[in-house]
Amino acid sequence: MLSAGLILFLAALQGLTELFPVSSLGHAVVVPPLVGLSFRESDPAFVPVLTMLHLGTAAALLFLYRRDWARIIAGFVRAAVRGRVETGHERLAMLLVVGSVPAGVIGLFLQDPLKSLFGNPRLASGFLIVNGGILLAAEWFRRRDERRRAAAPAAVLGHEEGDPDYAAVEGLSLRTAIFVGIFQAGALLPGISRSGITMAAGLTAGLRHEEAARFSFLLATPIILAAGLLEVPSLGSDAPTALVSVAAAALAGVVAYASARFLLRYLRIGRLDPFAYYCAALGAAGLVFIH
Amino acid sequence: MRGSAPLAIGLVVLAVVFAAVAVFYYTVKTNFLASGHPALHWKHAIVFTVLAVLCLVAANFARPKAARA
Repeated sequence: MLSAGLILFLAALQGLTELFPVSSLGHAVVVPPLVGLSFRESDPAFVPVLTMLHLGTAAALLFLYRRDWARIIAGFVRAAVRGRVETGHERLAMLLVVGSVPAGVIGLFLQDPLKSLFGNPRLASGFLIVNGGILLAAEWFRRRDERRRAAAPAAVLGHEEGDPDYAAVEGLSLRTAIFVGIFQAGALLPGISRSGITMAAGLTAGLRHEEAARFSFLLATPIILAAGLLEVPSLGSDAPTALVSVAAAALAGVVAYASARFLLRYLRIGRLDPFAYYCAALGAAGLVFIH
Repeated sequence: MRGSAPLAIGLVVLAVVFAAVAVFYYTVKTNFLASGHPALHWKHAIVFTVLAVLCLVAANFARPKAARA
């Protein structure tokens, strides 16, 4: 059984890593054995507890984008009844729907088979390195595109605040949203970051950095929320764990909110490279030190 | 986008199929497209219900509409 201390540790880790493009699930699987905490990731309570932490994170995202979500939900209902999209928020609502469906369906059918992978820290370490490669590849493509767009012969090495040459979320096509949604399903693998893979896909599709993060966070919210709500009944059989999990979910939510605010500010001028190097280093450490 | 009656009809048919699959998962103990022992897979049922609703929404988008003044 998971101890209260361990659950709270996982909560802080989850809140810190869920929205950064570094895979919270990968961290939950790799970091405890790396720092000498012994527990079985195959413990029946592990996935439900993690799901509660996701619920806390989803609440943080809902709070962060509360005004957006109010307009998105109203926009979805208006557009669905009318059969036509007329405003930016109605378009964003449709983008989120078509982006969420592939991940939801793929997740439903693959979640149980993939749960067995959660007990394998070395495999998660390998996927963390792959995650770092995905982030670096996305930034490489972006730099190449920036150089192509720049009129000056000198290479552009840092993107400007606001990135005027690149699009906002509302400018995405439905096809691209589906493409990003399919990529999101890759996050079912421990070590592959949901926010990382969707930000990478968003950058490749031509979004500004902070818009790629915004789309990633908006896209993650319904999936994380739905997955959390669907797993809540499985906590019922173990009341102490459930009680601690609720406190842990609150902790994860607070930390996630602060992390998201930081990341959105950072991505106005920063890139994903530091997260890529960090993932590669953590993955390598996991492969070397976990046996 | 111009509407397409055949596409709209196809989406309505798909919605009916998804709704039927949802009812199947709500009412029949099965392990069809699900792991484990035969059981009522309400998560599958919810997902297929959502897909059915979304197909109806998509059909509403796809149907031909009268031109606006």
